[in-house]
Amino acid sequence: MIWVETIINGVLYGGLYGLLGVGLALIVGVMRVVNLSHGEFIVLSAFLGVSLVGVVPWLHPLALLLPVALIAFVLGFVLQAVLINRVVTRPDPFAGILLTFGVAVVMRNLMVEVYGADPRHLQAGRLAQASAGIGDLHVGVLPLLILALSVALFTGLQLILTRTRFGRIVRATADHRDVVRLMGVNPGRVYNLVMGLSLALASVAGMLLAIRASFTPYSGVERLLVAFEVVVLGGLGTFWGAMLGGIALGVAELVGLRLDPNAGPLYAHLLFLVGVLLRPNGLFRGRS
Amino acid sequence: MTLLEVQALDAFYGDFQALFGISLEVADGETVAVIGANGAGKTTFLNCLVGLIDRRRGQIRFAGEPIVGEPAERISRLGLSLVPEGRLLFPSLNVEENLMMGALNRRPGAWTLARVYELFPVLGERRRQRPDQLSGGQQHMVAIGRALMSNPKLLLCDEISLGLAPLVVDQIYESLGSIRAEGASIVLVEQDVKRAAGAADRVYCLLKGRVTLHGQARGMGLDQLSRAYFGT
Repeated sequence: MIWVETIINGVLYGGLYGLLGVGLALIVGVMRVVNLSHGEFIVLSAFLGVSLVGVVPWLHPLALLLPVALIAFVLGFVLQAVLINRVVTRPDPFAGILLTFGVAVVMRNLMVEVYGADPRHLQAGRLAQASAGIGDLHVGVLPLLILALSVALFTGLQLILTRTRFGRIVRATADHRDVVRLMGVNPGRVYNLVMGLSLALASVAGMLLAIRASFTPYSGVERLLVAFEVVVLGGLGTFWGAMLGGIALGVAELVGLRLDPNAGPLYAHLLFLVGVLLRPNGLFRGRS
Repeated sequence: MTLLEVQALDAFYGDFQALFGISLEVADGETVAVIGANGAGKTTFLNCLVGLIDRRRGQIRFAGEPIVGEPAERISRLGLSLVPEGRLLFPSLNVEENLMMGALNRRPGAWTLARVYELFPVLGERRRQRPDQLSGGQQHMVAIGRALMSNPKLLLCDEISLGLAPLVVDQIYESLGSIRAEGASIVLVEQDVKRAAGAADRVYCLLKGRVTLHGQARGMGLDQLSRAYFGT
C-alpha cells in the first residue's frame, strides 16, 4: 500500500515538475531561446509570495497565486521587450544563453541582498498535512490540488495555442518570424506576450514548490535543472510530453527516496539520463 | 494610374549589392512579368517591395505613398501582398488557419475564405490538413489564397510555377484570371519565360541585379528575351 501511495504522490508532484518545465518549453519552442534565468524567476516568485504573505497574512498563500502570476507576467514582458528581443534575431544561440545567464546571476545576487540567504518556506497551514482516504489509501490533499491545478493550466495553455487567434499568431510566428511580418504581425510584441506567459506559469510552479520544500536565493539552479529535464525528457515542443516527463521524474524521485532516504533527487536524475540515452528525442516526438 | 513606381532601387545584403538602379512601373489593373535566371535578383526585388530587405535605397511609391523606408508590418497594411518563393506556409497551422493568417490585415474586398475555397475547391476539402500533407500544387494554392485574404491591390507572385507539373501550373495560372477580375494588379516573377510573358501585359527582364529589357509582352521576340535573360 505504501508503494501505491508513494507512486500516486509521485504522480501528483510530477504534475508540478511538468509545470516547472512547460514555461521553458514554450520559450524554446516559440523563440528558440534557452532562458537560463527561468529557475531564478521560479525562486523569485516564491520570494514574492513570502513578501505578500507578510503584507496580507490573513490570506492563504494559494490565494496569492494570481497576483504573483500577474507580477511575473509583467516582469517577463519587460525582460523580453528590453533585453531578450535584442538577441532573438541573431542566428547564434549563444547570445541568448549568455544574456539570460547574466540575468540569472544578477537576479540571484539581488535576491540575496533583499531577502538574505536563509532558507524560506511558504506555509500552507493545515492543508499541507491534510490527506484524503480512499479505503486504505491515503493521498495528500495538497498534492491533489497541485495536480488539478497543473492539469488545468496545461489544458488552458493548449487551448489558447490551438483554439484562439492569439495562439494561431504565436504558432505562426514560431514557424516563420519573417513571413508573419508580411501579415502585419510584429514578432517582438508576440515574444513579449509569450515570455510573460512563460514566467507567469513558472511563478505558479515556484509558489507551489515553495509550499512543499524550502528554498534560498540559490535554489534557482536546481529548479532550472528540473525544468530542463522535463522539457528534454518529454520531447522538445510537446506540452503533454512535458507533463508526462514531469510525472516520470516525480515518481522516480519519491520511489527513490523510499528505497534510499539519503538519495535526494538522485533517482529522478538517473531516470533522466536513462531516458535520454534510450530515447534522445524525448518520450514524444514534438516539433523541433 | 500608376499603382507602383520604383526608381533607381539599390539593395544590399550586408556589403554585397544585389540590385543596381532598378526602375519599374505597374499601372492599375496591369499584370507585369519580371523574368530572369537564378540569382538575377528577382526575389530580392520583391522582398524590397514588401519591406523585408534591411538595406535598400532609391524610391518606391505605392498608390502614391513612399514606402522605401517603411517596415514590413506597415507596408502589409497598404495593400501589397506577397506569395513568397518556396511558399513558406506555416507548418504548425492547418490550411484554414494558414488562410486566416492572411486575413489579419484584411482590407474590404471580395476575397473571403468562402471565395478562396471557390477558387481552389480542393483546399476546401482539405481545410483541416497540415501543409506537409498537401501536394506541391495544393501548397501553392494555399500560399496564393493566403496572400489574397488581405484583399491586396497588388499581388506579388514569386515563382508560383516552380517545381510543379505543367497541368498544375495551368490550373494556377488560370486562377490568375479570377484574381485579375476582382481588381488586383499582379507582378509575376518567374524563371519560365513563356508562361510569364504569356500571362502578362508588360515584361521586365533582370540579369545580375539590373534591368536588361522591358516592354510590351506581345512585341517581344524569343531571341530578344533570350539575350536579355542570359546576357549574351
